[in-house]
Amino acid sequence: MRSVNNLDLLVVGGGPAGLSGALEAARSGLSVLLVDEAVSTGGQLIKQTHKFFGNEGFFASVRGYEIADRLNEELNSFENARILTEHSVIAIYPDGVPVVDMKRDTTEVLMPKKILLASGASEKFLQFENNDLPGVYGAGAVQTLMNQFGILPGTNVLMIGSGNIGLIVSYQLMQAGAEVKAIIEASDKIGGYQVHADKVKRLGIPVNLRHTISRAIGKDSVKGAVVSELDERWRPIPGTEREFVVDTICIAVGLSPSIELAAQAGCVIEYIQELGGYVPLRNDDMRTSVPDLFVAGDVSGIEEATTAMIEGRIAGLTIVEDLTGRCDQEKLNYLKETLRKFRSGPSSSKTRSGIRKLGGKVEEASFSERIECDFDSYKGKLRPIIECFEPIPCNPCETSCPVGAIRVGENINSIPTIDYSRCTGCSICATKCPGLAIFMFRENKDGTSSIGIPYEFLPLPVKGQYVSALGRNGEVICTAEVERVARSPNKTNLVYIIVPSEVAQGVRNIFVPSQEAETIVCRCEEVTVDQIRKAIKDGYKDFEELRRYLRISMGPCGGRTCRLNTLMILSRETGVPVEELAPGIFRPPSMPVSFKAIAETGVDDSEE
Amino acid sequence: MERITEHPLLSFEHSEKITFFFEGRELLAYFGESIAAALHANGIRNLRYSPKKDRPQGLFCAIGKCSSCLMEVDGKPNVRTCITPVRPGMKVRRQSGKGEISE
Repeated sequence: MRSVNNLDLLVVGGGPAGLSGALEAARSGLSVLLVDEAVSTGGQLIKQTHKFFGNEGFFASVRGYEIADRLNEELNSFENARILTEHSVIAIYPDGVPVVDMKRDTTEVLMPKKILLASGASEKFLQFENNDLPGVYGAGAVQTLMNQFGILPGTNVLMIGSGNIGLIVSYQLMQAGAEVKAIIEASDKIGGYQVHADKVKRLGIPVNLRHTISRAIGKDSVKGAVVSELDERWRPIPGTEREFVVDTICIAVGLSPSIELAAQAGCVIEYIQELGGYVPLRNDDMRTSVPDLFVAGDVSGIEEATTAMIEGRIAGLTIVEDLTGRCDQEKLNYLKETLRKFRSGPSSSKTRSGIRKLGGKVEEASFSERIECDFDSYKGKLRPIIECFEPIPCNPCETSCPVGAIRVGENINSIPTIDYSRCTGCSICATKCPGLAIFMFRENKDGTSSIGIPYEFLPLPVKGQYVSALGRNGEVICTAEVERVARSPNKTNLVYIIVPSEVAQGVRNIFVPSQEAETIVCRCEEVTVDQIRKAIKDGYKDFEELRRYLRISMGPCGGRTCRLNTLMILSRETGVPVEELAPGIFRPPSMPVSFKAIAETGVDDSEE
Repeated sequence: MERITEHPLLSFEHSEKITFFFEGRELLAYFGESIAAALHANGIRNLRYSPKKDRPQGLFCAIGKCSSCLMEVDGKPNVRTCITPVRPGMKVRRQSGKGEISE
């Protein structure tokens, strides 16, 4: 055990809050040491693949792992800041802070002048039979395996919890190639943002409200789950049990602040349910009841990464003021103001009530709720449809619009409004929207409409390919041709498809059939769905024509397997009901026979 | 439990291949991975047997907070394998009970 002195600031935890606080202190020349248990810093940011909400200047519309890269890079550029990974702070005493080197199994005792505790949170656990079976993961663990290490935790997943994390991780599991069988939610409404819910619904993932998991099935590892419906008093209703065949159960029922070090250091702790459980009391400078100990991020109350970064910076600036007497009051006020605005919307009502219990001041602000929309006056013009109906703190649509056609306004919780007369149809907003809630739309002259769908899946279709157009619940609406694919540098590509105008407003997703596994319609002649669709598009609009062109039903089975399926494709593509289509000619022989059998004529011959 | 080969947003650039041992079996991993992640990539998610009821347990939080992934690594018990990087030649064993320090 060795002691080290002359340290201005010790930051515990290298997530968004810790990195941001360390950065403010480092910028002012303080000596900073940031300690983290993981192999690299960035905290949970490194596994967040979605674009962040929030506003300009605070990494809005940037993906989480990219935010981590930027923060890490900047902190590494300061000579007065040092990062220690694979190290663990195990206690905070008035006369020293022991830090364990986990690699070497040694301990150093630090005497920092100030401490910023940004230790984050831990997964909440849920009580059900067999809940400790391997294959039952917290949502963060699934993200770590999948997005950090590139390993799929399983193939078939049951998600428990429909808060933002449950919704986001479900979406990410589908992106990574797993199948999410259902999202189970005990409450009678979805917990997370509507835009996140819409994203998973249009993938076809059912959200079962008023349901709970009662048991995990399996001996050594998860093989299934039993789910039951809940009554009004949150008790499982007997007889409603349903079994899901899954190899993975993902629990996303919330987080608890990791307050162990704060509590142990003597900070006054209070149970505030709205903030996730026990939290240290702190003022709006993020100072706890132990004057030299600050908190920021999830340890001070469960919220999200944008507010964690702002809290970290507020703590960092206050620490600078404590130690140097200098304070960038303007910046501090700006940060506090931004935080207040961020939390002023309806989606932050829980956070506000929690902070009020801490003695903090946060108000709900007025925000504009209605979209004044003159969408229909601009028929034929390529323009965005913004399906953002819930006030959430987010405004990249406004800040990314090059012509200022979209307005969110002063309160970033407001619903965006769009001035279609100014919109040029550039589609940047659709690629920037973190909620993937902006679709491009144009009515064409031939009774079809083109829809640009933000698409973050593989395989990416190609122009001219046929895909299934899906509705808001992932249901198949019709077959659609891909008009074009606009690739975006931020990987939210826009796939434009052409669909009949009468169904266009219901289409919000696509299903791209895998190219390698083209489905066969005619087994004998190995003709695929795609070949038939292409032929129909080229003008072969009758079964006999298709037969002659593609050899459908000219094989040994005589069309027994493929005739009706071909007619159904023809019906779907042309809009003519099957009963009105000509079934085609039925030719002899009805079964394959040899020429010999036909040439030779029976018993008499053999007797000669 | 398999490695993701293609992803719409991420590219997993694996660094150097290494091998380590699980219960005496030589397994492949990539440098920089946690022990628990490397085991998952090899289809192993039963990491230990619980101290009192002898129940199989695996990864739960993956960030060093829940201690569900404690294993015996190079003779040292109670290693949080979710945040400990796998290193070449490492000997990893399922832990039973509270773990024993090997000679």
